[in-house]
Amino acid sequence: MVKDKFLIKCKLYKSSDMIYFSQLDLAKILERALRRTKLPVCYTEGFNPRVKLSFGKALKLGVEGSEEVTFYFLKPVDITDFITTLGKQLPSGLQLLPIKD
Amino acid sequence: MEAFNLFKKPQRYIGNEWNVIKKSHENKIKICLCYPDFYEIGMSNLGLRIIYSLLNQYDDVVCERVFMPAQDYIDFLKKKNTPLTSLETKTALYKFDVVGFNLNYELNFLNFLKILYLGGIPIESHKRDNLVLVGGLANPEPIANFVDIFFIGEFEEKADIFINILRKYKDKNSRLLAFSEIDGFYVPSLYEATFVNNKYIFEKKYKNAIFPINRVYLKDINNSFYPTNWLVPYTQIVHDRAQIEIARGCPNHCNFCQARFIYYPYRERRIDVILKLTEEIYKSSGYENFSFLALSASDFSHIEELIDFTIFYFKKFKIGISLPSLRIDDIVDKLYKKLLANKKTSLTLAVEVANDTLREKLGKKIDTRKLFEAAYILRSLGIRHIKLYFMFGLPYEEENDILAIGSFLKRLVEATNIKLNVSINIFIPKPFSSWQNFSMEDINILENKRKLIFKNIPRKDAINVNVALPKYSILEAILSRADRDFYKVIKNIFLKKINPQSLDKNSLFEIWMNEMKEEKIDYMRYLKISSENFPWSFIKTSCNF
Repeated sequence: MVKDKFLIKCKLYKSSDMIYFSQLDLAKILERALRRTKLPVCYTEGFNPRVKLSFGKALKLGVEGSEEVTFYFLKPVDITDFITTLGKQLPSGLQLLPIKD
Repeated sequence: MEAFNLFKKPQRYIGNEWNVIKKSHENKIKICLCYPDFYEIGMSNLGLRIIYSLLNQYDDVVCERVFMPAQDYIDFLKKKNTPLTSLETKTALYKFDVVGFNLNYELNFLNFLKILYLGGIPIESHKRDNLVLVGGLANPEPIANFVDIFFIGEFEEKADIFINILRKYKDKNSRLLAFSEIDGFYVPSLYEATFVNNKYIFEKKYKNAIFPINRVYLKDINNSFYPTNWLVPYTQIVHDRAQIEIARGCPNHCNFCQARFIYYPYRERRIDVILKLTEEIYKSSGYENFSFLALSASDFSHIEELIDFTIFYFKKFKIGISLPSLRIDDIVDKLYKKLLANKKTSLTLAVEVANDTLREKLGKKIDTRKLFEAAYILRSLGIRHIKLYFMFGLPYEEENDILAIGSFLKRLVEATNIKLNVSINIFIPKPFSSWQNFSMEDINILENKRKLIFKNIPRKDAINVNVALPKYSILEAILSRADRDFYKVIKNIFLKKINPQSLDKNSLFEIWMNEMKEEKIDYMRYLKISSENFPWSFIKTSCNF
């Protein structure tokens, strides 16, 4: 079993040039950015392990806006640190924002 | 440019990739690398990535990129009356000092001219101030009048001297003279090429110009530059993997092969260097898939050790590493147990021909019997389809070689029960291959052979076959073997402003044939061997066949 008890939920805000990138592209961008951070992310099982991520309602292509993303970790990760660390690995036009309850 | 949503795949034109290099242009030598095909194809090209990062290493150089835009983008540029710009800083192409092309496929000649034209650069060499440099082409002659400098060989070796000449000389003419004195740089305007008494005569017009032209190659692959600051596109490209070149060149000697010459001699990277590059590129890119590239990975001296490392990295970084050019006999005999840990779903095999006797004449070393015995192994490796490459129109080919393709496929499907994707190409006697001095097969014979191949291919869902069109291969043969006279044909067709993508291959062939007739070019001279030498005979290679 994958231990994915440690979740972080964020908003991913897409603007400027990044509005032209599809949901599929965004998932890859996040995965590769996460791999660069060396954070203790969870991977899927199997011969092609992928960083585990889940998305809320997908964003439209060509339109500015935000969607919810869930990140899965093997250890607890502080949300503020996480937003800074991953934020440094994202292209301008993609921004992580905490979810306000 | 704000109107990206007007185009299909706008990601092609944005230029905001991870690790992209954007520099100020002030007091810099400005170089733009162009690729005569779409972004997704060009960004999969290792040579382009090496040169891009290598040139940007120099503080006083800025190197940017341009790819062939799609028709919707071209229409947009025309409507706005604005030139094609670089991805990085959106600088018009004509503003660059040097415009370099990676041109390794002759059917892209028109795209090459189109990029120049769209970028506001005159297509003919003598009408512009920019330097247009082309690398990657075996026979430069058909486009010699459009190009200021050809680079013959591997650029890493001459990057320093290239930049030094650009620093030292500022006007075009003195730059051309300086380059012509350096191995690897061929400045066509400084040579006279004529065809007299059935022979190509080649003479220099500038006394210090190098003659003959020597191909240069990278001497030390372990200490050479490699791009570790890997550019990561934000959209899917054709080969969406980070690439580690494990060896350059090929130790085999297939008579039809041009790549053996282009990448001669065979050089292997040390394992410790390969591993260092893999780790560095993983850290800079976060790529989940890697390829260990070689023309023939099976021949890599420490292939088993390397496969062990792919398993190690799979565990350490959760990355998949593929070895795209393993031979079937090696997989079956020694590698398959190791490969089990790193499953793949497809296998690519260039068997070239169906009969062993003809394959021996090609010089191709592959034991296809293993393939038929390997059904269990292939299935346990998780292979769901096999991609097979064949050729026809070969020297020494007989009718039974043509008929054997169909029965080969039938037996293979029966033995393995795996889906086959089959690509059957036509032999072209490419410049510098061992068989450059064979004639291209006659078009009518090729058409008949093509029919015969189709007739014998079993009609099964598991077999998917694509056979090359003789007309198109003849055109490719002409373009790859032509001489300087041929530039008129290319220019006229370019000026007709046809969109090759909008035409079927037959109509495109007719357009070229008509233009050759118009310009009184006897193209049979390129296809049938009758002259004593070739248009490209002035290029010397260290590759002794």
